[in-house]
Amino acid sequence: MPIDCRHIRNFSIIAHIDHGKSTLADRLLEHTGTVEKRQLKEQMLDDMELERQRGITIKARAVRMEYRHEGELYELNLIDTPGHVDFHYEVSRSLACCEGAVLLVDAFQGVEAQTMANAYAAINTDLTIVPVINKIDLTYARVDEVLVEMEQSLGIEPDDVIKASAKAGIGIDTLLAAIVERIPPPQGDPNATLRAMVFDSHYDSYRGAITYIRILDGTVRKGQKIRFLRTGVSHEVIELGQFVPQRRGCEELVAGQVGYLVCNIKDVKQVHIGDTVTIPGDQGAAALPGYKPPQRMVYCGLYPSEGENFEELRDALEKLAINDPSFEYAPESSEALGFGFRCGFLGLLHMEIIQQRLEKESDLDLVQTAPNVTYQILTTAGETLEITNPQDVPESGEIEEFRQPIVRTNFIVPAEYIGPVMQLCTDRRATYLKTEYLSPTRAVLSFDLPLAEVIYDLHDKLKSVTKGYGTMDYEMLGYFPADLVRLDILVGGKKVDALSIICDRRDADRRGRAIVKKLRGEIDRHMFEVALQAAIGTRIIARETISALRKNVTAKCYGGDISRKKKLWAKQKEGKKRMKSIGSVDIPQKAFMAVLDTGTDRQ
Amino acid sequence: MEPALAASGGMDAESEAGIERTQAWRAEVSVRRYGTGNPEPGWASRPELLAYSDFMPGSPRHAYVHVPFCRHRCGYCDFTLVAGRDDLIDRYFEAVARELERVRQPLETDTLYLGGGTPSHLGPDGLRRLFGLLSTKLGRAADAEVTVEANPLDVTAEFVAAATECGVTRVSLGGQSLDAATLRALDRDHVPAHVRAAVARLLDAGLVVNLDLMTAAPGQALAAVEADLAAAVALGVQHVSVYCLTWEQGTAFETARRRGDLRPVDETLEGAMFELAIDRLEAAGYEHYEVSNFGRPGYRCRHNEAYWDCRPWEAFGPGAARFDGRTRITNHRSATTWITKMLAGEDATGDIDEMTAEQAARERLVVGLRRRAGIDRAVFLAASGYEFNQLVGSTVAGWAAAGLATDDGVTVRLTRAGLLVSDSLWADVLTT
Repeated sequence: MPIDCRHIRNFSIIAHIDHGKSTLADRLLEHTGTVEKRQLKEQMLDDMELERQRGITIKARAVRMEYRHEGELYELNLIDTPGHVDFHYEVSRSLACCEGAVLLVDAFQGVEAQTMANAYAAINTDLTIVPVINKIDLTYARVDEVLVEMEQSLGIEPDDVIKASAKAGIGIDTLLAAIVERIPPPQGDPNATLRAMVFDSHYDSYRGAITYIRILDGTVRKGQKIRFLRTGVSHEVIELGQFVPQRRGCEELVAGQVGYLVCNIKDVKQVHIGDTVTIPGDQGAAALPGYKPPQRMVYCGLYPSEGENFEELRDALEKLAINDPSFEYAPESSEALGFGFRCGFLGLLHMEIIQQRLEKESDLDLVQTAPNVTYQILTTAGETLEITNPQDVPESGEIEEFRQPIVRTNFIVPAEYIGPVMQLCTDRRATYLKTEYLSPTRAVLSFDLPLAEVIYDLHDKLKSVTKGYGTMDYEMLGYFPADLVRLDILVGGKKVDALSIICDRRDADRRGRAIVKKLRGEIDRHMFEVALQAAIGTRIIARETISALRKNVTAKCYGGDISRKKKLWAKQKEGKKRMKSIGSVDIPQKAFMAVLDTGTDRQ
Repeated sequence: MEPALAASGGMDAESEAGIERTQAWRAEVSVRRYGTGNPEPGWASRPELLAYSDFMPGSPRHAYVHVPFCRHRCGYCDFTLVAGRDDLIDRYFEAVARELERVRQPLETDTLYLGGGTPSHLGPDGLRRLFGLLSTKLGRAADAEVTVEANPLDVTAEFVAAATECGVTRVSLGGQSLDAATLRALDRDHVPAHVRAAVARLLDAGLVVNLDLMTAAPGQALAAVEADLAAAVALGVQHVSVYCLTWEQGTAFETARRRGDLRPVDETLEGAMFELAIDRLEAAGYEHYEVSNFGRPGYRCRHNEAYWDCRPWEAFGPGAARFDGRTRITNHRSATTWITKMLAGEDATGDIDEMTAEQAARERLVVGLRRRAGIDRAVFLAASGYEFNQLVGSTVAGWAAAGLATDDGVTVRLTRAGLLVSDSLWADVLTT
């Protein structure tokens, strides 16, 4: 007998990083008897090793729990969301599958930037918020102040807030009861035409793509034919079921339920997050609103440090892309680095995650170029170009308008750091919007900033000027015209394409000086003098010189010395082999990141 | 190796017989692996080397003995030594005696070199005792060169008498400088007067004296180096070694440098000091015959020349390296570990550098080019079996074009400019 919607609750947990989301999820699994305590690996939902290492949830997961409340049995579906801004779209799709969200706030840290960003996303999706203060058993818990912050920033009624400690198991039953009582049951007619939303997918080497869906209307059964509206392709449902938390098959899923489909789809790229699933033919339901293709905001070049490993790198990237449709790569070549790939990511964190996986899973030695955002250029011919590589910037005469992405950024900082954060943003050509106080001691500062500045070093700098207490979050506003130029770097008189950057014309001198200075520290002395120059077009704007090597000779070379020395020389030789040669100048791999790391130049 | 023995060794390893057999088997494997248990096949089993019999006699004619004791460890030193552990000296002698057992038939040596550490720290009696031990296995040719390294503070009349009595012909004196400030900067425990007195005493006894000088000490100016060179010449020593201070990993100096407490002299000044040493010592009649070595005609260190000729040599003591023309075996670098292992009858090997014929030829090239005489193509071919041009012809042509080497078709030499940056050249020569 199909389950009645009234006995289903679909919800997410939303929180700032490290506020205890994974621990709370584990506790819910345990209290509902979904997973026994001894089976519970720490942070059950983050099942990728990397996620556990970093303490963040990257891929959404959906777990079905059973909970008995006042004699009635309820199906609780916990849809886990990635909390980071890079995965903003995925978060929005996951939230769209829920009727409620548990908003988790750390009793010491209080409301932070991602707390607000995620809470607003949930409120905008019309979800019922179940607010929770976590870690109330901490010695330094400041529950009353955090209640004020939650009220000030998000309008949350203090009386509604559940006080809990996921770690100690305090307040978990109260929370489970509140989930049932406060969050409305899903709407939907099990007898209507099938309409379901895809909110995630993953790749299983035996079963192919596993598609995560929320049924909005109708019923889907094993063996049934279904259709994905994006691709228009129909498939047979080979298996369907729910995660408990491992996959458990069933015969049907009805309106209101959350589960998965296996349809013999070999490529996860054919499964689009936000897509609509319905029946084949022209009787199908209309597409759900809100679908967006993944938007890559950050690009960088990845090159094998030994040219012959190009094929291996391609295989490794392909493997990663199978499990992550939002990651994109395309072959490109650089005079300096040879053959490699231009890779697109949702954001910086996404880029780091992909790189770490690549290193872990493929054992390849890679050279990475400094990341850049995507720019738009309107040419004099009236064409709009999407620029993902600084090399593709046309001659200045052909540029009508050069546009860069701007993000609206919120900082939450203790009041004493407002000044330094203002300075930080002003230096980065931010437009100040407003300051709001969460409490007498904490404030929210809002700015519009170029995304390029954000990925450059803003997060690190924020942490350093606020002694670690400041947090930030941002959302994309769009592309806006700016006075941008391409800055080229010349080594020994030869342009190194992989070192070019796009920056604001007013910053070009400073950036150029900082880069050549940094490079001077990265490139070893050669037998000859090496000139390092920064240029806009043909105009040189900065120069440094690496003087020729004057003396490098081993003093003692007796009995056993030569064996030791040979090892040193061999090591140097190995290092040299991994360097990239521009003309006769050897450039170490990490120098290609030098254009990013100019933090010492500007406070 | 006998697989059957290895297998049964595993089965009855608990029994005494099993342990004994396992040990015997290990010793056997060790001998085979390192080829040092029996000098006959070990040193002479390589016909390709034996072809040059004037370079390669059947057994080494050179021996080095490492004496690891010092009064104190100088901040820049990363040699194998123990400071303030004179209690280990007796066990060290025992360990040396053990190691000498490796040599089945006494060797006749042309050169014998006692280095350290500080061999003179053993004192007159200790020196006699060590030479007594060595004499059982290391005989000397009539004109053998016998060198002992000494700290100026140890060079007493009694010590000089003992050295002479033991047949020492040459003393290498760790003077480092004749400037009090430089000596303090180098963390040395002697003053200039000690150096002068020691040199005088040694020369009076008819010994050949090498004086070590150090350049690029923290805070040292070019003028101080100039003064040291003049002082060394004035002392009348037959040989001078000039070493640019090297900042070795793990030394107190290097740690202080990282903390910013010590600053190396500028690389350009280092180069100027080196060139000054060459100019002044050559002007004073010393031949510059290797990167760091200067000798009056007829007074080159024959022992070190054996190293640079890549002749085989024997070596004993912690951290000491021996060489059979192809393989260099270095004993464990920790003095205490080496002693313990030797006395326990265990393998005290630290590192084995085993080369192919080509690798050995390339190494010969490197040590050869560090000598001012350079490399004679015919001699190189005869000694290594490799045609110089085939091995590195184009590389060396590049050096010559860049003014780093000269080549008259017969002999290749590094120019002074080439010598100054020679470490940067070796990567092009050595293969891994």
